[in-house]
Order: sequence, then C-alpha cells, then structure tokens
Amino acid sequence: MSAVWRAARAAAWRRRLQTAVIGLVVLCSATTAMLALGLLDAAASPFDEAFGEQNGAHVVASFDSSKVTRAQLEETARLPGVEAAAGPFDQMVIAVPKGARAVPAGPLTVVGRADPGGAVDRVEIVHGRWPTAPGEIAINQRFNVPPKPGALGSKLELPGGGSLTVVGFATSMSQSAGAWVVPERLAKVKPPAGQMLYRFSSAATEERVRASLAGVTAKLPQGSLDASRSYLSIKAAFSGPSDDYLPFMTVFGVLGLIVSVLIVGNVISGAVISGFRHIGVLKALGFTPNQVVAVYLVLVCLPAVTGGVLGTALGGLLTVPVLETAFAGIETGTATIAVGAWVPVVCLLGMPALAVLAALLPALRAHRLPAAPAISAGSAPRATRGLRMQRLLSATRLPRSVSLGLAQPFARPGRSLMTMGAIVLGVTTVTLSTGLTSTILAFSEAGGGSGKATEFFVRAGRPGMGPMRTLNDPQAEAMLRSLPGTLTVTPGVFLGVHLTGQRQALDVHFLRGDTPSMAAQIVSGRWLEGPGEVVVPPAFLSQRGLKVGDQITLESKGEQARASIVGEVMEGGPRFIWSLWETLETLAPQIPADLYQVRLKAGIDAEAYAQAVKAADPGLRAEIDADEGESIDTVTVVGFASVFTVLLTLVAALGVFNTVVLNIRERRRDLGMLKSIGMTPWQVTAMTTTSMALLGAASGLLGIPLGMAGHRALVDNVGSVVFPDFMKDVWHVPQLVLLAFAGVTIAVLGALLPAWSAARLTSAKALHSE
Amino acid sequence: MTADTITQEPVVRVDGLRKKYGDAAALNGVSLRIHPGESVAVMGPSGCGKSTLLNMVAGLDRPTSGSIVVQGEDLGAMNETGLALFRRRNIGMIFQFFNLIDDLPALDNVALAAQLAGTSGRQARKRAHELLEELGVAHRADSYPATLSGGERQRVAVARALMNRPPLLLADEPTGALDSHSGEQVTNLLNDLNRLGHTLLIVTHDPRLAARCATRLIEFADGQVVRESTLEPTP
Repeated sequence: MSAVWRAARAAAWRRRLQTAVIGLVVLCSATTAMLALGLLDAAASPFDEAFGEQNGAHVVASFDSSKVTRAQLEETARLPGVEAAAGPFDQMVIAVPKGARAVPAGPLTVVGRADPGGAVDRVEIVHGRWPTAPGEIAINQRFNVPPKPGALGSKLELPGGGSLTVVGFATSMSQSAGAWVVPERLAKVKPPAGQMLYRFSSAATEERVRASLAGVTAKLPQGSLDASRSYLSIKAAFSGPSDDYLPFMTVFGVLGLIVSVLIVGNVISGAVISGFRHIGVLKALGFTPNQVVAVYLVLVCLPAVTGGVLGTALGGLLTVPVLETAFAGIETGTATIAVGAWVPVVCLLGMPALAVLAALLPALRAHRLPAAPAISAGSAPRATRGLRMQRLLSATRLPRSVSLGLAQPFARPGRSLMTMGAIVLGVTTVTLSTGLTSTILAFSEAGGGSGKATEFFVRAGRPGMGPMRTLNDPQAEAMLRSLPGTLTVTPGVFLGVHLTGQRQALDVHFLRGDTPSMAAQIVSGRWLEGPGEVVVPPAFLSQRGLKVGDQITLESKGEQARASIVGEVMEGGPRFIWSLWETLETLAPQIPADLYQVRLKAGIDAEAYAQAVKAADPGLRAEIDADEGESIDTVTVVGFASVFTVLLTLVAALGVFNTVVLNIRERRRDLGMLKSIGMTPWQVTAMTTTSMALLGAASGLLGIPLGMAGHRALVDNVGSVVFPDFMKDVWHVPQLVLLAFAGVTIAVLGALLPAWSAARLTSAKALHSE
Repeated sequence: MTADTITQEPVVRVDGLRKKYGDAAALNGVSLRIHPGESVAVMGPSGCGKSTLLNMVAGLDRPTSGSIVVQGEDLGAMNETGLALFRRRNIGMIFQFFNLIDDLPALDNVALAAQLAGTSGRQARKRAHELLEELGVAHRADSYPATLSGGERQRVAVARALMNRPPLLLADEPTGALDSHSGEQVTNLLNDLNRLGHTLLIVTHDPRLAARCATRLIEFADGQVVRESTLEPTP
C-alpha cells in the first residue's frame, strides 16, 4: 500500500494545479449541498417526527352540533378507510380578554377532552398537567419556548363571568385546539360544534385526504361538516416561509451536484489521459492494474476529502443564519428546528464518494491500458480526431490562430462535451439567477416586498404608543384628503377574527375609500367590490385547502359574517386577509379606522407631507420609512441566487480552467513548435481562449433556454407567492443578448489564466517537454 | 566561404554567451560569428550546450548574460512578441523529431508558418505546395503526419522552415531520428539549400552530416567552444 500511497502523493504533487481544482470544486459543491439538504431536512423532518410521535390527526374536522348527533359522529370512526379516530369532543370558541398571562387576547378554540392520549392526537404535556376539574384549562403551547413566568396557575377570566385556572401547557402537532378543558365543563353550555380527529389509511396527498374525508362524511346530514383542516396544510404552514427558499435551494443544490460530477469526471479522465506515460511507467515498475487504479483513486480522494470537509464546515456555518431567517416565527410546537446529523455525514461521505465514483471510469481505463503502448503513447490526441473540422476551418478566412483554436475542441470531443456541460449549467444558473432577481425586484417594486416613498401608511396613535389622535376617523380622512399632493386615501383597520371551525386567529384588514395599489396584485379572481367578500394570499388558501369562490365564516366576539373568497393576491402571510368596510360593519360596526394608506402625486415630497400630517394631528404618524428597503424575503432570495450563481459560475470556470490546463499540457510541444515558427504570445492567447469561447458560445445557446425554463418552473412553485404574468415575463432582447455572452464570459474567464501562462511558456521548454 | 562573405556583416554574432539552469551552466562564455551563406556544424557530446546555443540563436530561450545579434537585430532587446515576429522573418527551424502538428495534413503544416504571418490561406497553400514539390513530397500533401515516413516528415518540416524564405536555417539533429536512407536524403537537401544561399547552423552528432553539409565545424565541450575548423566539402 505504501507504494500506491507514494505514487499517488507524487502524482498529486506533480498535478498540484489539477489537485487544487478538484478540491475547490468539491468544496463549492459540498457547501451548496449542505445548505440545500440542511434546509430541506429542517423543513421536513421535525414536523414529521413530532407528528408521528403524537400519532397526529390527518384531519381535524369540526361538525355543527345542531345538524349531527354524537352517535352519528361515533359511527364515522368505524367506517372503511379510517385507520383510527378520536372524538367526538365538544368544541367552542371563547374570546380571551386583554390581560391574560397564559394566552394572548382574541378568539380561543376550547375543546373538552378527558385524556391527552388516545388513538389519535396524543397531546404532549410540556408543563404542568392535564385538567381534571371543570375549573381547569390546559393551553396549547404554540412555540417551543417556556411559558411566561406566572402563566402556569394563572386565571383566565371568561367574558360571560367565571374563570379557569391554567394547570398546564401542552402541544398538539395536529393543532386540534387552542386549549383543553374537561368534557363536563363544555357539556354544560351545549357547545355549537363537535370535533372529530381522524387518521386515514390513504392520506399521502391533499386529494387523498379530501377523498377520505368525503368518504367518512358522505352519510352524515348535509351541511353538518362545518370545517376541516388537513395535516398537510399544517405541515405546509410549518415549513411555509422556507417554502419560498426551498425550490431555489433545491434547484441550485442539484445544479451544484451535477456540475461537480461533470467537472470531477472531466478532471480525473484528463488526469488519466495526460498520465498515459505515467501509467505505463507504473506498470513497467511492477504496479498491478488494481494498484494503478488505486493510485488514481487516492489521487482524487486527497483533494476530494479535503474539499468535502471544508465545504461541509462552510455549509454548516452558512446554514445556521439561513435557518434562523427561514423559520423565524413558525409555530413549532414540540418540533426542534435543526439540521439532522445525517446531513453533514452525507455531505462528508457523499461528496468524496461522488468524486471517487466519477474517477472510477477513467481509472478503470488505466487498469486496462497495457504498459508498452502507454509508455510509447504521445500525450496528444489521436490524429484521426477532429481532422475534418480542422481542415474545414483552415480553409476559412479566419486568422489562423483563431481557426486553430476553433478546431481544438473537436480533437477531444468527450472532454469538450463535459466542459460544455459545466458551462451550460453555469449559463443556466446565471440565467436563472438573473430571471429570479428581475422577478423578485418587480415583486418588490409592486409593493410585495418594499414600500415606496410615494405610498405609505399614516397610523393613528394607540394607548401606550405615542400621542393619541385628536382628529376622529372621518376628520382624519378628510384632513388627509385635503392636504396638497394627496392622490388617494384608503382608511382601514385590522381586526382579529376567527374562522369558524379553526383554532388559528386571522387578521382581516378592512378597507374603505380609494382602491389601494395592491388591487393590482390580484393573480386570480378579482378585487373586492362589495360586502361579504374577501381577498386572500396564496398561503391562506393552501394551508386551509381552500380556493377562490369558496365561502368562509368570520367570527368576532360572537358575531358572524359569511364571506366569499373573490380573489387571490400575490402574496402575504397565511393569517392576513382583506375585506371591505361594509363587511366590518356586520362584525364590529363601531370600530374606527386607525390606518390610512396614502398615495401621493408624482413629485411630492413625502417628508414635507409627513410634517403637514403631524402638524394637523400629532397623534397621526406617517410611516414613510417603515416600509422602505427590501424585505427579508427579497434580500434572502436574491442573496441565495447571487451566492449560488457565484459558486456555480466559479465551479464552471474552474472546469474550463482545468480543461485548458490539460489541453495546454498535452499540446506543449505543438505550442513550442508554433512559437518557433513565429506565433506571437497574443496569437497563443487568442488560439487558446478561442477554443473555449466556441464551447462557451454553444453552451450559452443551450443554457439560456434551460435557465428560462427553470425560472418559470421556480416562480410557478413558490410556496407563499403567486406571481402575476408580468412579473414572470422578465426576458427582453438586450438581456438575452447579454446572457448569450455569459457562456463566452465563463469560458474566457476560465481559459484566460492558462492561456496567458501558455503565451509566456518558453518555447525551448515547451519543445523539450514530454 | 569567400572573402566577400567574410567582409559582410555576420548573420549571427554571439558574444560572451552564458546560460545557467539553476547552478548548472549550459553555456559558459560562447562567442562566435556566422556569415551569410556559411554552413556551420556544431558538434559535441550530449549535454555540452549545442541545442541551448541553437535555441538562443532562434530566440526561443534567453541567455543569462552575453549578447546575440542575428541579421543585425539584438535579440536581448526584444520582448516575446518581437522575438516571434523576428523568427517569422529570419529563422527556419528543423527539429530532430519534426514537431509537425498531428491534426494538420502536410500541406497545412507547411502553410501554417505563412498564415500566422498574415498570408491568405490560398496563397500560403500555393507556396506550400510548390515547396513540397521541390522537396519531392507533393504527393503526400494531403497526408497526416502519422501516415508519413520519417524522411517524408522531415522533408515536410524542412518545407515548413523554408515557407517564409528565412535567411537563416537552424537544424537540431535533423537526421537523428531517421534511417540511413532518409538521413541521406535530408543531408542532400540541406546541402542544396546551402548552395542556394541559405545560411545554415546545424547541431549534430553525425560526423558524416557535418562533413557533407558544413563549411565550418565548431566543437563544443562543457558549454564552451573548444575548437573551430574549416571543412572541405565532400562529395
């Protein structure tokens, strides 16, 4: 083994440039893979694990107690397709007043349940205990953090009088309730809803879940199913923010892996071919074919392991801030957000293994190569290759150095194709990244990500938050409209409501006055036109399994309002929806607007306008700066795209660099001869870079459509945003022309350094080289 | 060599030429003159610096010290581009292992030298064909180097060296890789070229080649000129 080690070490040292290239390529690829796999794992596995441990419900269904009996609901648990079920449990929504220590003010879904265990939704108690008496309550702990000091044991005052003592905090990954009490506590008040928790034998997709639920409820009275929520929507909510990044990360990660395999394969096969003589010498010395293979595999392992370790470490460092950003504010329950131990292990072992695998094929070629022809073989390609092209090009009017360069890729078609593959992926990445940046910036400019100085909110002061307003709502609106430079004013207010049958609270932004600019962000359906209508973001629909045209019921302090989903806006959090003022008047007629969206005429100084607002009422504050700058999403996606583009462009350029180094090494004698007959350094540089520029140009033509297709596939599948067509149609002729040069640029960048080195190569040395 | 040629400015003027590779001296203070029309053979044992001298005169390598003036141009004062342009105009090189480009047929190998200098492809090929005809290998113009015999390859290489009508031909062991018959052919060829007025500088181990082609013999040892002698042409 020591002979193999010595030979491999010597070969690595002799080819140190190629060794360094392999190391760098593997480093970049391992970093990319670590980032991509880390995010994928963090987004998927914690939910799955915690959900699995609790035997979570595939569907949490809420039934109207006035339309269905307990016996009928119990019967559903025994129907075919139901793997396990729990319930019926009484369910009702209570309004939590301000000042409660254990739970924020607003609607709270309370379920009467005797036992946290059972066949489905085994609720995990994380602090305190389960309620055992009618005066006790356990709160669903949404975040994996300790409860506020004093929350355990605190009293929860009920609106109709009476109170409940908080005896515990528990977590349901099925989000089956906001809180639990003993069944007797709810039985007294005859709650309007009954809850059933189901696990189905077929629940892999949203469609299957719906079908299974439809099968279960088919024989129940019509309209008895009030609301339902599938575990897939909860899972989507869990990974919702990261869904924005996952498609990008995955695509860039996969691109990185492919480029890595291509280039490592290219580098190694080049090393074997350029080392024919070396192989011959090894065999002549007595190395067995297997030992020769071992030498070449060790030669690859050295830089691959180093690059893999460094790349995994770098990826690990980058993953921490990425996860912090991606999962900020997610209801994690008992799930832990961290990268699984398998991810670095896979990167550490996988990347070098990938490199070794890529090396195996050319190494086996070394295995078969007989010693005598290997020793006598010239290192230049066989004369039969690319001759036709060489001949055709020599007949053209192109400068000879250029035509010689253009013919070079045809001498080594395999190597040229692999290099081209790397450049194609580089161009694809640049195209993809350019398209994404254009889309994200268009999205940002449209108001999705950043505010503009000509459009801002004027907010009325609240108790404890600055001076109180002196002008009432109609006066404030009139004042804003009267100020010079005002174009539109849209008064509004946020109201916390509850969607019937669902635990999670919603914030509805009720609007009146002028149509806001976000009306232009409708991607399906239409903007609000009358009472009883809402528009919602994509995440709201996907997490609840709803679609435009569906009906929902909004509840606030006992008041209800039916509303149709008439439109889908481009983006927004899953708990924010919009409706008109007339709808608010059904739920809470006395609430005044406290937020005024103002748009200014062109050329109006927003700062001066803000001063005028303040002068009219110090309790009104124009938030000109609050929305300025890019959102985290914009920065993150553009940042990711940029980092990956740099990484993959670098890797692709390294591939070109390596190919040119190999070509020059093989053609040193030719170069020396060309110089001896008067080829100038400039002509050498031109010849060498032209050879790669041709591959770059061809790669550009292939990579651009691939990048455009990738861009379309990505922007059509971003979890929480649906981009309108004008944001997806980002390709224009000048931009495409520039992109067409991307391949040439990558190729020339990679080729330039070795080309200069070839130009400086002393002819005498070149002529003496083997 | 006639009195006329001696009075003319030398084609090659080398003074105090030294070349070191690390601590090893390949040339150790070489001075010599080569006049127009001369055919000079340089002989000596392996590693004595003969090929290094040839590379210096061709501007393929740079000396550690000393000066080289070829055709009145000081090579030490030229940059790489200047040296390349100088070689195009003034130098034709013939190598022991031919150094033909495997990817190009014989005709294109020959034409290449003119094309690099900007001559159109058509003109360059026409002249290349004429040269191949003169050297008796026109019938192999479309053949690739791999299919040519050693003698044919060297004649193609000579044609390439002559392509730009250089006044000085440098030959490094031109018969070293050839069998006796091919070697004889190349020897005759060099002789003819000298008779036609080309100045030759030939590095060789072969005393017969030196005796047949050279009018002057320079003997090298340890990077120095140890003896110079005039040779009588042998038939």
